[in-house]
Amino acid sequence: MKLKKLYFFLLLSIPLFAFTMHKYYVSLCEIEYVEDQKSIQIILGLFIDDLEFTLNKDAKKNLYLASTEEVQNIDAYYKEYLNNHFKVVVNNKAQNFNFIGKEYDGDIVRFYLEITDIKELKSLQITNTSLFRDFENQQNIIKIKVNKFNKTFYLDKNNPKGLLNF
Amino acid sequence: MKKLFFIAISLFLISSSLIAQEVEEKTEPKKEKEGHYNINKFRQLHQELPTPNKEHTASGAPGYEYTQQQVDYKMDIILDDENQKLFGEETITYHNNSKDVLEYLWVQLDQNMRAPNSKTPDIEGEGPGVLYTPGNFTKSFMGKPFPGGFNIQHVKDINGNAIGYMINQTMMRIDLPKPLASGEKFIFNIKWWYNINNYMVDRGRSGYESFPDGNKLYVIAQFFPRLAVYNNVEGWQNMQFWGRSEFALEFGNYQVSITTPKDHILNATGVIQNPKEVFTKEQYKRYSEAKNSFDNPVFIVTPQEALEAEKGKETKTKTWKFYAENVRDFGFASSRKFIWDAMAVDINGKTVMAYSLYPKEGNPLWEEHSTRVVANTLKVYSEHTFDYPYPHATSINAQRQGMEYPMICWNYGRPGPDGKYTERTKSGMIGVITHEVGHNFFPMIVNSDERQWTWMDEGINSFVEILAEYKYDSELFPMSKYPKNITGYMAGDQSRIAPIMSQGDNVFNFGSNAYAKPAAGLFILRQTIMGPELFDHAFKTYAKRWKFKHPTPADFFRTMEDASAMDLDWFWRGWFYTTGYNDIGIKEVKKYHVTDKPTQQAKDLATRYGITIDQLPPALYLVSEDSDEFTEDLKNKKAEDYSILNNYIEENFTPEEKADLKAPKYFYELKFEKPGDLVMPIIVEFEYEDGTKERKQYPAQIWRLNDDEVTKVFHSSKAITKITVDPDEQTADVDLTNNSWPKNTETKFEQFKKNQIKG
Ligand SMILES: [Zn+2]
Repeated sequence: MKLKKLYFFLLLSIPLFAFTMHKYYVSLCEIEYVEDQKSIQIILGLFIDDLEFTLNKDAKKNLYLASTEEVQNIDAYYKEYLNNHFKVVVNNKAQNFNFIGKEYDGDIVRFYLEITDIKELKSLQITNTSLFRDFENQQNIIKIKVNKFNKTFYLDKNNPKGLLNF
Repeated sequence: MKKLFFIAISLFLISSSLIAQEVEEKTEPKKEKEGHYNINKFRQLHQELPTPNKEHTASGAPGYEYTQQQVDYKMDIILDDENQKLFGEETITYHNNSKDVLEYLWVQLDQNMRAPNSKTPDIEGEGPGVLYTPGNFTKSFMGKPFPGGFNIQHVKDINGNAIGYMINQTMMRIDLPKPLASGEKFIFNIKWWYNINNYMVDRGRSGYESFPDGNKLYVIAQFFPRLAVYNNVEGWQNMQFWGRSEFALEFGNYQVSITTPKDHILNATGVIQNPKEVFTKEQYKRYSEAKNSFDNPVFIVTPQEALEAEKGKETKTKTWKFYAENVRDFGFASSRKFIWDAMAVDINGKTVMAYSLYPKEGNPLWEEHSTRVVANTLKVYSEHTFDYPYPHATSINAQRQGMEYPMICWNYGRPGPDGKYTERTKSGMIGVITHEVGHNFFPMIVNSDERQWTWMDEGINSFVEILAEYKYDSELFPMSKYPKNITGYMAGDQSRIAPIMSQGDNVFNFGSNAYAKPAAGLFILRQTIMGPELFDHAFKTYAKRWKFKHPTPADFFRTMEDASAMDLDWFWRGWFYTTGYNDIGIKEVKKYHVTDKPTQQAKDLATRYGITIDQLPPALYLVSEDSDEFTEDLKNKKAEDYSILNNYIEENFTPEEKADLKAPKYFYELKFEKPGDLVMPIIVEFEYEDGTKERKQYPAQIWRLNDDEVTKVFHSSKAITKITVDPDEQTADVDLTNNSWPKNTETKFEQFKKNQIKG
């Protein structure tokens, strides 16, 4: 009983490797609207260890991301997390995205998401609250490219939304 | 007339874009611009670097008047495991080796950072937490703050008379009875105690971890009042310890006795002077014999012995006696739970011991890797700096720690309760051990001022760490990660980036600013700008010049140039003094063909010098495919088809020389753009029609006259099908979308989707 409690406590406490920290609390999301395909293409990259920390906490078990021990249905966990924390509003209408897939690249996991059948893009609103709950300094960068137009948003806890009108 | 020809010819050799510019200026006179100071990115760092002097010379070496203070400590310490208190009494001998007379001494009281009246929490501007565990909630809102901080019981001189002192937060001024002249020493005694913090709750670089059965694992450091550094760079380095920017410390000899419960196992900075008294007979035998075990770690304290010890709770005590020579600090770790293994390491004929102490919770990871990682780190760092001079290096397993002291460090990394662990846990543990053991070199021996310049120890150490980790396991630690790992940070929000040359308390993203970015910068210098041979020699020169001394950033920058004959001021300026990033792209590629008909540009040139076209010397001209002068038939002409070239070759070359001449067929004008603020070499890969590849690296100085774009003419006997800038991502280029020609039309997303479907 005691052991279990301690384990839960460990999961809940914010990692404090402050003196060896090699990293920074940042995610990068690249969004491109490809007009001739009527498609909004999204690549969202997150640090695996931070995401694992958060997902483990929600799942109350160790998911062993990106390892040989990884749980079988990991994509279900990813999809649920993204649906809750990454929201896209196109032309004032909330849109679901297709989960095309994921790739692990070193410390980073990249999610490929797509919204199809967007004939014209008048406005685009992105909300990305990924990792805000557990990482005080988390900053989510959103880079949007529409034809030749580029715009970057820096989202954080106090400012989790970016809106672009064309 | 001859002279004019000469001018005309040499002008012809200058790139055509320059002529075009001049023409433009003539027709459209520019508005007068305001004057400015030298803003060239290759100007020297005269304004940034301090004026050299006889202690820190212009070459980056210590000068002939270099001095530093020495401080020796004799301490008696008692660890009260029952109440988690630490009691100490120390006799300090302060040697004033400077030329100055000192009126007072400053002593660091780092524990006061966690005193109830500490101002550290007051400077944190944070909103409410997202969630509070009941423990956090009671701690934050309901309870009293942890009663930490030093309780100073006395400060006395050698005759037992009280000495005046004043405490300002984490600094204590010792008022000397009489000024201390150059060459004199002052001996005094301080007695203190403090409550040891549970670092799992209250954070910190030291403290204890509590296990479910009540056993504690202590990692103890910053535990005694320690002298601040006095030198001619900062005067007294008595900037407060806020909790982040670490320490500035003098070298000295330490004689320390530590009293613990009798069933504790302990290691510390220095060598045990009474091993027979503190170990069992069997342990002592293994401790002695371990010095011959060069191939594999052997146990000094076995897992079975540790398991037995953690069941008990001795009330009797024993005293561990240590002696450490020429160290800048002292730390120790103590617990009933410690397993201890050991391996001998041969450092250029000298035997150094690699030790690891860990609780059973660290296994199976720790018995497999820790001591081997320590040994590997000592070897690789010694190759790149100097032979490790201390008798041992010890890795202590402490949950959620990564902290360094001379000869000893605390490192995280434990498998889950089920004994399973991911590759990331393993690489994290190997990484942190390499890093913390590596700190023995920077800053424990190359003793920079951590309070002022975090990057000088963290950044330089993180760089050598890359080489050591790669040596340990090249698959787990591929070097191809560097320097591109830093581009995300460098391309980020400029309002949240500080230059590396900032004091550590005042930077955002501390890890990237002071660790990863300087490491990535040195990696670029070694692999791409200087090359390993030049870099390694200069880097080693820096380490050797400043071992057991106090270097400054200028000493590093200057030595790297002094020992390599490379002017790197542009690199230090951009990478260390600014927040700029690198982005170089290929903007345009024009194909040219050879003709013997003067082009419009040639005609304009003749006009400018008041000659007719006939008066131009016999010459060949390059015609751009997109110009009006281009005709399809030129595509099939080779340079040697033109008689003026043929005749020239016939007249001036021997048959052997002729056989050696190349036959260029394709001419390209490459226009590179640089949206980024930094200057960097341009690395270009040409892929030819037959699939072969060629690389060309233009030095960063190519940007010295134009910071936005430059053009180069490139010729070859085969047609180029693809050009890639920085194909191996060696220069921390933050945007790769402009790095190839022809432009990549398929996006990263489309590539991924295609592969997914293929599946
Ligand atoms: Zn470090």
